[in-house]
Amino acid sequence: MASPSAPVDGKQRRSGLLGMSWLQRAATSLALPLSSIAISFALGAVVIAVTGGDPLLAYTKLLCGGLGLGCGDDATPALQISNTIFAATPLIFAALSVAIAFRGGLFNIGAEGQLIMGAIASVVVGIRFASWPAWALLPAILLAGILAGALMGGIVGVLKATTGANEVVTTLMLNYVALLLSQYLVLNGPLQSPHTSSISLPIGAGGRLPAIVPANVMFFDQPGAAYLANSGIFIALAAAIVFWVILRRTTFGYELRAVGQSQRAARYAGINIGWITIRTMLLAGAFAGLAGAVQIAGGTEHYLGGTTYISDTTGFDAIGVALLGQTGALGVVLAALLFGALQSGGQFIQSHAHISAELGAILQALILFCVAANFLRTFRPQAFRLPWWRQDRPPDEGAEEIAEAEMATPGTSVTEDTA
Amino acid sequence: MNALLIFLANPGLWQSTVEQSMLLALPALGGVISERSGVVNIAMEGMMLTGAFFAVVAGIAWGNPLLAVVVAMIAGAMMALIHAFISIRFRADQIVSGIAINIFALGLTNFLKDKFYGTSDVPSLPDGAHLPFVNLPGVNGIPWVGIVSQQNVIVYVAVVLLVGINILLFRSRLGLRIRAVGERPQAADTAGINVYLLRYGAVITSGLLSGLAGAFLAMGIVGTFNTGMTAGKGYIALAAMIFGRWTPLGALVGCLVFGFGNAVSARILTGSSLLWGMIPYLLTIIVLAGLVGRSSPPAADGIPYEPGVE
Repeated sequence: MASPSAPVDGKQRRSGLLGMSWLQRAATSLALPLSSIAISFALGAVVIAVTGGDPLLAYTKLLCGGLGLGCGDDATPALQISNTIFAATPLIFAALSVAIAFRGGLFNIGAEGQLIMGAIASVVVGIRFASWPAWALLPAILLAGILAGALMGGIVGVLKATTGANEVVTTLMLNYVALLLSQYLVLNGPLQSPHTSSISLPIGAGGRLPAIVPANVMFFDQPGAAYLANSGIFIALAAAIVFWVILRRTTFGYELRAVGQSQRAARYAGINIGWITIRTMLLAGAFAGLAGAVQIAGGTEHYLGGTTYISDTTGFDAIGVALLGQTGALGVVLAALLFGALQSGGQFIQSHAHISAELGAILQALILFCVAANFLRTFRPQAFRLPWWRQDRPPDEGAEEIAEAEMATPGTSVTEDTA
Repeated sequence: MNALLIFLANPGLWQSTVEQSMLLALPALGGVISERSGVVNIAMEGMMLTGAFFAVVAGIAWGNPLLAVVVAMIAGAMMALIHAFISIRFRADQIVSGIAINIFALGLTNFLKDKFYGTSDVPSLPDGAHLPFVNLPGVNGIPWVGIVSQQNVIVYVAVVLLVGINILLFRSRLGLRIRAVGERPQAADTAGINVYLLRYGAVITSGLLSGLAGAFLAMGIVGTFNTGMTAGKGYIALAAMIFGRWTPLGALVGCLVFGFGNAVSARILTGSSLLWGMIPYLLTIIVLAGLVGRSSPPAADGIPYEPGVE
């Protein structure tokens, strides 16, 4: 272990960045994500080539489908960007949920269930008060989602704080409870639409999030209704700012991070760990519940049911997004946009290059592997001296952080790491 | 109430409870071994799915169930090897690596499914490529005991593995070493135990077991491959492992509860009976909160080992 007098700061390695110019700093912090993306695309090219595809064609189409760049005559760039934003919106909320829990030392594998609960609550409110005007109904729907999600998260927090019940198990179990409840309500249940099976009644017209491009306007030769992106993305960005403010600018956020870095140190500092755990899970549930509400209020169909909530994986993809974004606000937004671009780009290459849309998922996983392994660190001469299974590598920051945080009481430097 | 009793008295329900429990027990057992050696493993879901896919590919190609099971186990082990390599050699965050494996497995199996079989459904396994059911002579007629007969061959394999691995972990020298590596790798290394080797072995074993479970699901229960057919079973196995406090027999108890849950939900599809399907999951939460309480993983679980660093 390094000397106990070393800084306690969890992101200690970043303190070395303070002496650099902003340009050097930006280059250093972008090196890992950018190199990971480059390595993943190279590995992905191998996968495409081995399975008999043309990597260049696939990536050209992926770029067009995901980011709207370099499209020929066969696509409208604005439409592709709109698809990416639409796919990224729920991922941002759900990943913020997973990220805030990670920051507090908790693994929220139940963003999915909290999201479903939020969606159920917003549909119930949207149907019950369908006649309300938009200025009342839309906030009510969003609030219902937040509260229902927070309730789901709060149960986990209370159980963890009072009995020590492992949150991985309880969140996972509640996923199934939420899924079964939604199925009960929609499949021949009280919320089912009388006209179509497996789908709920629509929410009131006032509860819908305004689209970015109005439905009846022609935009880049496409009807506005084709553009799926809606004002939910602005709520998602606002949520990311709220996440940052809570984490960086409030006492609660400080205590949350202290508990996440070392429970022992936090306890010595007089922090009530149980209470912080409960509040962390309430907040995590609220973010995920909002994802469900925005899915309902801004979704294509404004319904609960169909395939969206029966086989939805947003809450699980969000774990990848949160980890790729290194559980920071900006990182989560960028990672969600990247995952969204890979999703919509994947759909596009399936129809335009006849390569499975699943290439997007493969690339998502490869990027995560590269970020986790940080292959950049291995480009060092001593890496060739020993056989690979016994190589003595430079000390890993993660292990040191844990060890150091265990040793010392939280110092002022904890506030200096970047969100 | 009467309808409930009739529902519960149906031996078919209990027969499928046994089947579903053992399906979950295999990956849960893999998780126990991996985490006892100090490598967090949430990738059973992905390893199981990969096993299921390659079992069906091999089963359709060669029609030999034994060969297909071997292929599935190797496929699961390959996924585990990626997880082991990244989390042991590169000292990666093991949760990130595990999630990446799960996303990768879902993407890869669907990608290859589209490649091999087009965007239509995967064909069913040919006759003779299914995993056989075993008839235990003598117990068939006995009420209640009869549910252990007419089970898939993998169910019996799983029981043997459960007992065997429990003995291996807690009654053998190798088991002691695996647990030492998971609790205090520095001390184990000082005593001359190869920490890396044991961790690689443990993670790969979890891949073999999860791949076997995938083959069981695809070739013994469903008879073909469907997109994402594991549907969270690997995560349920993870929950069973934590519920059972990282022991094989504890995990088995969790698997029996969830196996019952799966068997119940397979029989009720709509209406208010869907709400009854919540019972096993709520029961788990109540038992966890009320009886099991605080459970702590092996001390070095999730912490990459580096020589010379305490």
